[in-house]
Amino acid sequence: MTDIKIEMKNIGKVFETDDVETHALKDVDIVIRAGEYVSISGPSGCGKSTLLSLLGLLDESTSGSYVIEGHDVSHLSLDEAAHIRNEKIGFVFQSFNLIDEISVFDNVALPLQYKKEIPTDEFIKERVEACLKMVEMSHRADHKPNQLSGGQQQRIAIARALVADPAILLVDEPTGNLDSQSGDTVMAVLAELNKNGTTICMVTHDARYADMAKIQLKLLDGQIVNDEALKVAV
Amino acid sequence: MRILIRQHKQAWASLKKKPGFVLTVLMTMGITLGALLCAITLNYLLLVEPLPYPDQDRLFVAEHGVTGAKKETKGLAFTYPGLVHLYKSKAAFEQAAIMSYGEDVIVSHNSQPLVNTAYITPELHQILASPLALGRMFEASEAMDTHNPVAMLSYNTWQQEFNGNVDILEQKINIRGVSYRIVGVLAEHFIEPELEEIGRETQVWLPFDFNSAGEGQRQSFGNISGNLKFIGLLNKEVSQSQAVQLLTPLVNDRWQEGVAEISFFKGWSIDMRVRPVKEVMLGQSESIAIMLLAGVVGLVLIACANISNLFMARTAEKQRQMAIQAAIGATKKHLFKAMLAETSILMFMSIILALVIAKSGFYIMQQYLGAVLPRVNELSLNPITFGCAVLVTVVFALFFAKLSTRMINYRALNTTLQSSGKGSGLQVSKKTRQVLIASQVALATVLVFANFSLLKDAVKTINAPLGFTTTNISTLRLNFSSTDSPSQEESIPIMAGIMEKLEALPQVESLSQSGSPLDGFYLRALTNVANNERYTPFLKGADQRYFNMIEQPLLQGDNFTRVDRQDGNNVMIVNQAFAKQLKADGDVLGLQLSMGGPDPHKIIGIVKDIAIPGETAIEDDGSAEYTGVPRAYVASRLGAQTFMLKLKSGQSVSREQLGKLLAEVDSRYAVFSFNSADDILTQRLFSEITTAVTTAVLAGLVFLLAGIGLYGILSYGTQLRRFELGARMAIGATKQHLVTMIINDNAKSVLVGFIGSVVLFALAYIGLSEYIQPFLTWQVLPMIVATLILITLVTLFACYWPLRKYINKPAIFSLRGSD
Ligand SMILES: Nc1ncnc2c1ncn2[C@@H]1O[C@H](COP(=O)(O)OP(=O)(O)OP(=O)(O)O)[C@@H](O)[C@H]1O
Ligand SMILES: [Mg+2]
Repeated sequence: MTDIKIEMKNIGKVFETDDVETHALKDVDIVIRAGEYVSISGPSGCGKSTLLSLLGLLDESTSGSYVIEGHDVSHLSLDEAAHIRNEKIGFVFQSFNLIDEISVFDNVALPLQYKKEIPTDEFIKERVEACLKMVEMSHRADHKPNQLSGGQQQRIAIARALVADPAILLVDEPTGNLDSQSGDTVMAVLAELNKNGTTICMVTHDARYADMAKIQLKLLDGQIVNDEALKVAV
Repeated sequence: MRILIRQHKQAWASLKKKPGFVLTVLMTMGITLGALLCAITLNYLLLVEPLPYPDQDRLFVAEHGVTGAKKETKGLAFTYPGLVHLYKSKAAFEQAAIMSYGEDVIVSHNSQPLVNTAYITPELHQILASPLALGRMFEASEAMDTHNPVAMLSYNTWQQEFNGNVDILEQKINIRGVSYRIVGVLAEHFIEPELEEIGRETQVWLPFDFNSAGEGQRQSFGNISGNLKFIGLLNKEVSQSQAVQLLTPLVNDRWQEGVAEISFFKGWSIDMRVRPVKEVMLGQSESIAIMLLAGVVGLVLIACANISNLFMARTAEKQRQMAIQAAIGATKKHLFKAMLAETSILMFMSIILALVIAKSGFYIMQQYLGAVLPRVNELSLNPITFGCAVLVTVVFALFFAKLSTRMINYRALNTTLQSSGKGSGLQVSKKTRQVLIASQVALATVLVFANFSLLKDAVKTINAPLGFTTTNISTLRLNFSSTDSPSQEESIPIMAGIMEKLEALPQVESLSQSGSPLDGFYLRALTNVANNERYTPFLKGADQRYFNMIEQPLLQGDNFTRVDRQDGNNVMIVNQAFAKQLKADGDVLGLQLSMGGPDPHKIIGIVKDIAIPGETAIEDDGSAEYTGVPRAYVASRLGAQTFMLKLKSGQSVSREQLGKLLAEVDSRYAVFSFNSADDILTQRLFSEITTAVTTAVLAGLVFLLAGIGLYGILSYGTQLRRFELGARMAIGATKQHLVTMIINDNAKSVLVGFIGSVVLFALAYIGLSEYIQPFLTWQVLPMIVATLILITLVTLFACYWPLRKYINKPAIFSLRGSD
């Protein structure tokens, strides 16, 4: 049991705008174990990003329960959610979301600054350098993000997501803003990370990249249509 | 044209989505531009606009300058015979009028009102070409020495005291025992030249012959009086300085003859002053008006800085939209025009609000500043105001549009689109933002501090200890409604009778037969018998109960007694300041001072100094160093017709009640005035109260503007960092992390702003050290601290408030593009 990283049960999400209710997710069950590489795909508007933001505690579900590494995180205050995100979750966004005003090194170090107990400078330096090395960006540590190409920026974003040693890496269309060549490099980095033990959950449109994942979930109208996760478990 | 309309429609639609932005611009620009239009109109009226009289450029006032033996100016006021002599000489002026201002009771009227009067020669209204509502102005048959009792009313008096009765002409009014036939009513739009006092309106005009000067004053060259005036149209070929040269010997020679017998005036002379009526009316108001304009321009500048910030932030916000427009072919000019459509709509709305505010400003000035600023009744929205309004609208609309579009790097617009990375959008650079915050803080600090200081000074004057009490004390002055005033002997029993009745009133606690210190002292020349030194202290008559009643302590010697007054003893009580002037050690009991008569006055007591607000000390020839206002008191006579009533607390007496009481004793007496000392005090403190209120309002406004400005920058700054905030939240930043981060980021700019304000102060100190130096004491420290705390609080609020909507929602809200 201890190797279950993430367990979602009966998760639902309803958006209420003015008078329309959108059921973005309905009764979604997901289990992700240590070292797995999960991809979520499906047509536009099916609820992929919504699911990922619930997985990442960026938003609250309307119903259902959610457990990360044995901690129930279904009902958390904003600050508690922030702490869990900091400790257990690494994020990679489609649009990088790096901070232009600080250096690549500082961007990567940022999650460590938000830890409850801020680590020593030596530890930070070691850790950041290690992560930059994993994404092969050590030589650009002193640059500003806007001096880098899109693919390079995305690799920095991955390094940032890894730096706090999260339980899981959540990735939302990592190649959406990239040309195919840079996209391939980024995907290669992710594959490499997974091989070395990182648990990854990735949303993607691209069937080619979805195939790289061991477990492929398909979403349709807010529901998971094939349940390969269970199959593998059996 | 169609394109123009469409552009404005689009601009309107896009503005409607930002009500907060529109409201901020509207309020900020509307209020400050309203104040600006007000100040400009006032300045134009006072400094540029000619007086509403024909030949106003030849309209001059002649004044008697009384010069002492050391060539120092003793005063600017005529002697009665001097004025008449000048008038009769007909020198230098084509046409001239003389007048004497007064206050009188219309005894014949039911309510016996006290009115402002002016005793004039007929030329006055001819020179002014005064418009009339009814009847005629005075004519030759009512000139000097004709003793023809006629009267003219002001429009307001006609309306208020006589209910606008159309049959007013030929009716009679009785003033001081003379029955005057009303021959004319001035028109509503007649504007009186305010020669004596700003805001004083003459209610009843009477012929010069009937003025209140007694027979003695009419003959005396030694008696100067401030309410005598000379106004005239200068001869076309005579210049101002020529007139002075012409008139001075004419007046001075006659005066020297008149005072040859009086040794006090030895070495003194008269030099005439001839000044344009406009200058006389303007007095000190020019600097007030200019200061007001300067202050308002300061406000407009802050407002302008604020709004610039907002527009720049808005451009940053619209960056993407403009990039798309550029991509489909909009040129730089197109973008400018679109921006201009928006700024012109905003400025148009602001100026409408500004005009409304200016109009209310005029009303407020007319209601409350009539006694401080001349000509405020002429204030109205005129072509100058509208001209300025149009100019301001156009200039600001162009300025803001230009400023906004200048920010756009047109060539970079396309790259904005290509690199759709949300974090790397073009934004107001961090530097610009920091400079804006710093300048805002610096300006606000300086202005808030300056306002605080002014406010504190005004409040200090208002709360300054008087040295005497005014509680429940009122002054009653009598009016004698007959031509020849009663002699001392005659009035003593009448006054005794009146006092008996007054004391018998159940409301009255005590009574004194002398006026309150607030009713004024008069300057009197005194000579120290021992060494022939001359002094001019302020003098007042007081009875044995005066000092007790107002609680002014007697420090040394004795009070007056009833016997002193009965026997007409020449005794005097002086205050500490005068005692010090007379003798350095202040031990002056027994000292003898002469008023010119055979028997000098002996000093029997010394009282503590008092401070009368609004009274500026006259430096005594600059010789003795100034300590306080020197005052001397003589025993009031038993026939004196001014009383102080101390009423029991919570009690009151009406003017009518007192009028009845007087009539019972002697029907020739009526109430001239009955005022509470507290009311007089409030009146005296009027300018301080006005200053306090104005600065408090201004401080509030500055603070509000500074707040809006800081909020504007910080809020847009935060908005632009939305995705960054989202990213930070996604990787685990808590609320506290983010609030601390924003405050830290802004703290540097605020600190720079504080330092900037210190630099501004240092510059002001170098430039204006003589004004600021006396001001720089440790007392400013708490004000500096208060200012810093206030500004810091505003900054903290402006940091937190815009942030709250991001940090109190799930992180996804900040990360998502739409609201
Ligand atoms: N904040 C919101 N308010 C209302 N409805 C929303 C909101 N966010 C998402 N939705 C709706 O929820 C549904 C799922 O949206 P989601 O963004 O998860 O789709 P997606 O699968 O990520 O699509 P895409 O592949 O286009 O990114 C959609 O119908 C969308 O309109
Ligand atoms: Mg999506």
